[in-house]
Amino acid sequence: MSDQQRDSTKLGIKAHRGLLQEFWHNFKRNKLSLVGGFIVLIYLIIAIFAPLLAPYNPVEQFNAPKGEHNPLSPLSRSREGHLFLLGSDKFGRDILSRAIYGTKTLLEIAVGSIAIAFFIGVAMGAVAGYRKGTWVDELIMRAVDIMLSFPTLVLAIALLGAFGIGKLRLGPIVISNMAKIMVVIAITYSPRFARVMRGVVLQEMAEDYVDAAKIAGASGRRILSREILVNTIPPIMVQASLMMATTVLTSSSLSFLGLGLQPPHPSLGIMLNEARDFLFLGAWWYAIVPGVFISLAIFGFNLLGDGLRDSLDPRQARRVHR
Amino acid sequence: MNEKLLVIEDLVTRFHTEDGVVKAVDGNSLHVGQRETLGIVGESGSGKTVTALSVMRLIENPGRIERGSIRFMRSDLLKISEKEMQAIRGKAIAMVFQDSLSSLNPTLTIGEQIGRVLRFHTKLSSKEIRKRTVDLLTQVGIPEPVKRASNYPHEFSGGMRQRALIAMAISCNPALLILDEPTTALDVTIEAQVFELVDELKASYGMGTILITHDLAVVAASCVRVIIMYAGRIVEEAGVDDLYERPLHPYTRGLLNSIPRLDDSMPTRLYSIPGEVPDLISLPDGCNFSPRCRYATDTCRRDEPRVEDVGQGRFVACLRVNEIDEL
Amino acid sequence: MGIYILKRLLLAIPTLIVASMVIFLLIHLAPGGPVRVMLGPMQDAVLVEKLRHQLGLDLPLYQQYFRWASKALHGDFGISVTIQRGASVMGLIAQRLSVTLEVAALSMLVALLIAVPTGILSALRQNRLSDHISRIIALLGVSIPNFFLGILLILVFGVHFLRPWGAGGFVPLSKSVADNLIRMVLPAIALGTAYSAVVMRMMRSAMLDVMGQDYVRTARAMGIGKASIVRRDIVKNALIPVITVMGNSIGYLLGGSIVTETVFRLPGVGNLIITGVFRRDFPVIQGIVLTIVVIRIVVNLAVDLLYSYLDPRIRYGGVE
Repeated sequence: MSDQQRDSTKLGIKAHRGLLQEFWHNFKRNKLSLVGGFIVLIYLIIAIFAPLLAPYNPVEQFNAPKGEHNPLSPLSRSREGHLFLLGSDKFGRDILSRAIYGTKTLLEIAVGSIAIAFFIGVAMGAVAGYRKGTWVDELIMRAVDIMLSFPTLVLAIALLGAFGIGKLRLGPIVISNMAKIMVVIAITYSPRFARVMRGVVLQEMAEDYVDAAKIAGASGRRILSREILVNTIPPIMVQASLMMATTVLTSSSLSFLGLGLQPPHPSLGIMLNEARDFLFLGAWWYAIVPGVFISLAIFGFNLLGDGLRDSLDPRQARRVHR
Repeated sequence: MNEKLLVIEDLVTRFHTEDGVVKAVDGNSLHVGQRETLGIVGESGSGKTVTALSVMRLIENPGRIERGSIRFMRSDLLKISEKEMQAIRGKAIAMVFQDSLSSLNPTLTIGEQIGRVLRFHTKLSSKEIRKRTVDLLTQVGIPEPVKRASNYPHEFSGGMRQRALIAMAISCNPALLILDEPTTALDVTIEAQVFELVDELKASYGMGTILITHDLAVVAASCVRVIIMYAGRIVEEAGVDDLYERPLHPYTRGLLNSIPRLDDSMPTRLYSIPGEVPDLISLPDGCNFSPRCRYATDTCRRDEPRVEDVGQGRFVACLRVNEIDEL
Repeated sequence: MGIYILKRLLLAIPTLIVASMVIFLLIHLAPGGPVRVMLGPMQDAVLVEKLRHQLGLDLPLYQQYFRWASKALHGDFGISVTIQRGASVMGLIAQRLSVTLEVAALSMLVALLIAVPTGILSALRQNRLSDHISRIIALLGVSIPNFFLGILLILVFGVHFLRPWGAGGFVPLSKSVADNLIRMVLPAIALGTAYSAVVMRMMRSAMLDVMGQDYVRTARAMGIGKASIVRRDIVKNALIPVITVMGNSIGYLLGGSIVTETVFRLPGVGNLIITGVFRRDFPVIQGIVLTIVVIRIVVNLAVDLLYSYLDPRIRYGGVE
């Protein structure tokens, strides 16, 4: 390929690279995404440093002072004098510690599921996109359609119904409950990733710099694959962030239903479930604490995802604010 | 009878966008006589549509009519209330837009859309409205008007739709009819039919008309007087015949030169005016056309030409107009 | 319009068939095979064989599927193994389906009632501050999981304001419409709120889209009054895409109903499927999932029908 041809490919690619920089610039300016990013950061810190942050062991049960019963209200103490900043649950376990560890688990499951769904979905979507129009594309997309005809929660419940609660024993292999849940949620969400990835790949392939590179010849194709993939990153990141919000929602719903991590594992969903019996006894903290922890996480991821999406296409955001 | 139907004076309309201030209409004056047809010619972005929208007071954020006066039937349209303006729109002044498919509500029948205009502006009963609708559709040459009135816009062909839009516009007997590129989306034979129709209606309704277009050929057939606009300003005004025979502004000359002629000798390259239309946010100093004008001097690039009366009903905005015959 | 519907129908059938295959295969994912799982600790070889034969699991796979599918077509979803020995799964579902559907329908109603007016207003107002505020409120609405919202509602209205909102339980419509509806208020709000946030955003963006259309400008140019324009040009056209998307989210509502039924202890199929998962009752699980998928496909078709009726461009094919 001549120098001229190589230059024009590079120019086309450079013009496109500008998009990534623009994206970052817009992101920094957008208040919503900064707030969302901040919230997510806090959650990440809680998740990573849970053992350091939690005052007590989440499964340790403490006795209530004489004459009183667990669950105890916030700022009360156990018989031995342990301070329950956010109260205790029905077994005398510190709610704050359980909430912190519960958040850790929540994020672990969310990140794990997204990662798996990401790999499966993105691979499927990329293949389908590259081979647009062939039987491979058709097959993958029909499979995606079928999967999407099941409501997400229903599919997850059905899969868990098949695999069973708790550890999964496939002959000699034992898969931990957490891993099993991650896989189930991943299966439920990979179709969406596949669809988005395919759409993005198709969009990129229609761009001018692709034509320029094609005309330029063989080595153009190598630059091409790398550049296409690089440019698919922003929309995929947006999708991933928004999916994090939904994954957190789904996994906490599943654990609320009792299909997730089993007791005595600290799980925000299970805490909410347990809280139901104590509402009429006035133990509001039992429900509010885990609920707020879950809601704030979802809120943060939503803000982040929305902000990312606006930064990606500021024209869209401007239209909204017209 | 000498009183003019519409007199616009020193109209300035600007759009305050995030990228800058767009000077869409930059101090223009024009007038239309009672039964006269005025043509406004210019490229996209020359300000012709914005002028019409300003007359209708349909300019919306971020656009604003900054100053000027628009005298119509003894009122200044820029000074009356919105309610009074609503009573004028569609009734005394009517406008026909360019793209007929997107200009019509897809979920209402043609009859409903025409009927709505009648209901807003007249006191006719529903029965009378229905009758009038059928009458109008017949007048504009739509066959099977009763059936067609209960059809939806997408069930009409492009030419039919344009006729329906015209029917809507003349439904309340307007004194002034504004047509904004009414046939750009249609093919030539249909275009001819539509203009024939408009001519008939002009005669029978006695309307004054403003015809906005970028097509000089169309203007030659329908208009008595023509205004040429460039980059938000009027550059020339003249009677149709005078303009074609002897264009005075360099831009007009360029436009006429770019029309291929049947009697051109064979290997003639099509002429097009060199350069591009300026960005209305950052207009050049002096004459807007100077960067593209083959006769431009330093004075042209420094001083803004005003529209001058050069006699015989002709007006030109060019500093070198007096030398034009030698150039 | 007929062709449009026919095409949709033809597309739906293979989807249904393949989906049913997936549901059928589901139980074979169970480690150790469905029979051992269902019998649990009672692992007697003779019993295992008996159950395997009874469930037809000793037949080749495709035969099993056909047997299962043809029975399902006749409304026979098999017999419950662990929840209620010998009871017809279809019978169990039939008893409870109306509850679930009622919750879903009322939630959609709540969502519509909240979202449509706020969406319309927010699009018409369009000032930066109220824009931002409504956006954040909508995001908040989406972020609170429906089970948490349900519990909050019980906490506030049930505990502090007492009956009859939070009385809980369920009274069938046949017995008393008023009693039934009162107990449905909190569940409908719990499930409908998150949903309404989504619908509001859709309504608003549909409105904004339409407001930028040329025909709105034409109406204004003809001197039509603002109220009429909002009603007949803007809202009428904006509602079409919104309604269709809403109809298509029946899946979300059915899934959410499962959770809502658990929170408010309502006797619907949602509750049943959870019990089925705990008790490893595969016929029940399969039956309910199949029912939900069928409902979803049927509702999607109905929505397509509605859409083609509402949009004249589809109802009467064009000249173009």
